Amino acid sequence: MIWAGIIICGIITFLIRFIPMSGMIPKELSTSTKNSFKYIPLAVLTPIIVNDLSIIENNNLFLIENYKLYAGLIAIIVAFITNNILATISTGMASYLIMSNFINI
Amino acid sequence: MQIMKKLEVFKQGILEELPLQLGVFPFGIIYGIMAIESGLTPMQAFLMSSIIFGGASQIAFVQLISNATPFGVLVTTVGAINSRHFLYSISMMEFLKNLSIKWRIVLAYLLTDEAYAISIRRFINEPNTSFLHFHLLGTGITLFFSWQISTLTGVLLGGDLPQFLDLQFIIPLTFIAIIVPMIKSISTFLVVITSAFSGLILKSLDINFWIIVTGMIGVLVGIVSSKLDKKR
Repeated sequence: MIWAGIIICGIITFLIRFIPMSGMIPKELSTSTKNSFKYIPLAVLTPIIVNDLSIIENNNLFLIENYKLYAGLIAIIVAFITNNILATISTGMASYLIMSNFINI
Repeated sequence: MQIMKKLEVFKQGILEELPLQLGVFPFGIIYGIMAIESGLTPMQAFLMSSIIFGGASQIAFVQLISNATPFGVLVTTVGAINSRHFLYSISMMEFLKNLSIKWRIVLAYLLTDEAYAISIRRFINEPNTSFLHFHLLGTGITLFFSWQISTLTGVLLGGDLPQFLDLQFIIPLTFIAIIVPMIKSISTFLVVITSAFSGLILKSLDINFWIIVTGMIGVLVGIVSSKLDKKR
């Protein structure tokens, strides 16, 4: 299953990069089609983030003592200010570890 | 003489790509660690970096595998995340149309975010330079080796890190670092807000393909609200 996933995803990714270069599609795509491409990463990655921040646990909203959520919000602010991947990840991770290991509300 | 010129353009691609590796290298290490933490074998984790060769999509793959996501959702999500490369390829086509199919296969494989970002500037600013494709070869190969070495470093570190670190949390943080700089307009902001809320609702309703449905809703909102960007 994992190997099949890796290989199929590899083929799909290659075809996405190769098909336009191969000359198999029309040179000019419509503006709305081009526009839609720029939204796809945002629309797909955002729900993954929200899921990983554990805002819903067992079909209930989990907001109080949800250190992942708080650390995620701190990371969003750092990403907005610095535009730096490493700074965002390290600040978010440090905030989460401090909250989850040293704070007992 | 021609060989010297090709080498020079190739070397310029490498040198211009090198500073970006400061961001790529930690990202590769994080991917390697996450892949091992999520239960992939070292061989699977390492070879994925050359078979898929796409940072964010590889991390999403690892996250979805650890959540026992259905195969169709996994493949569609990876394809959707990498779909932006389709646009990169379209914008490169004009400059590479006279190359042989072998060249185009190699360059398509190497066409990642960071290689594109550096080479397209050169392509647009100096379109008449000879052997421009050697520039993309230089940026692409630099990124390829950097990604493989950093992945391997992460894979070797992966199993030895203490549990209390809860490294799975690096995945959403990585995606936050990727998407926040992409929010540059009203429409992109609305896409993120809509995707976040529809993701929460659809997940709690236990809908199997919730990521895909959320993605489609988000893109639709983006297309509709893009008119607001133009009005500003």
